[in-house]
Amino acid sequence: MAYSDKVLDHYKNPRNVGSLDKSSPDVGTGMVGAPECGDVMKLQVKVNPETGVIEDAKFKTFGCGSAIASSSLATEWLKGRTVDQALHIKNTDIVNELSLPPVKIHCSVLAEDAIKAAIGDYKNKRNAAKPEAVAVS
Amino acid sequence: MSIPRDFYEFFGIERRLTLDTGALQKRFYELSRQWHPDRFSRKSAEEQLQALDATAILNDGYRTLRDPVKRAEYLLTEEGFPIGEQRSRDVPPELLEEVFELNMMLEELKQGDASARPQLENARENFVGLRMGIDSELMALFAKYDAAEPQSETAKQALHEIRSVLNRRRYIENLIRDVDKALDAGAADAEPVEERL
Repeated sequence: MAYSDKVLDHYKNPRNVGSLDKSSPDVGTGMVGAPECGDVMKLQVKVNPETGVIEDAKFKTFGCGSAIASSSLATEWLKGRTVDQALHIKNTDIVNELSLPPVKIHCSVLAEDAIKAAIGDYKNKRNAAKPEAVAVS
Repeated sequence: MSIPRDFYEFFGIERRLTLDTGALQKRFYELSRQWHPDRFSRKSAEEQLQALDATAILNDGYRTLRDPVKRAEYLLTEEGFPIGEQRSRDVPPELLEEVFELNMMLEELKQGDASARPQLENARENFVGLRMGIDSELMALFAKYDAAEPQSETAKQALHEIRSVLNRRRYIENLIRDVDKALDAGAADAEPVEERL
């Protein structure tokens, strides 16, 4: 099966591999996995609390090349977006950008889940830090 | 006469997760004789086809039922707990953390030189130990399922638990496979990139 150059590029030179300080209040961490193929993906975002803009994004994925490429691409797209814009990233966008074959669509779903989990974690942290914000929203 | 597609029904055995594999093997031989193509050589084309069909189910069924993990996966799917269609939300976060940490450790060891070998061997022993623990957990859950009324809440609960234990087992299996690859001197580097995609 032919894989797109973009998948190979992200697989061979993954962007933004690493981790951010999980305990920081500005960092959201998403950890997701796909039991059927044994993949596990960690994706983190660092958000500027004033502007809501994602200033940094890191990932570490154990899995197939498509899973690595999907999460690598996700971190590229996350940087510079606001938290709410980030939630609009859909797995189908990743599929299109990387030309993923149908059998690898679940890898893009995993990346979307990871984004949502990371943003969710960040929002939870903020709400926990400022309980009055919950009451207002 | 129609042939049952369900493996348990085909073998004519109780729908249990704990199976006597000796008895299963005996049953397999009996059915193999019963459906052997030689016995159908003088029968109609239709009957010959049916015998072929039965042999295929027999072989699939035997391969599935004799292996406890495949057997459990089969029963889970049949009972409406498919394995392959889960999203990450069905995986407990502690398990993901654990698997992630184990993978990190493995990666660090793999990047080390030959001196990391004993550590890799340790890690392998560790994973195999985890798998053994998982397998005894599975056996206990099999017994729980078998003791429950079919379709009851207890039975469903047991299947649910079995599925999460199987998930955990799958992850550990992958880790063992990765350690073996790393231990298999240089094999990981020789592997072409395309194959991993």
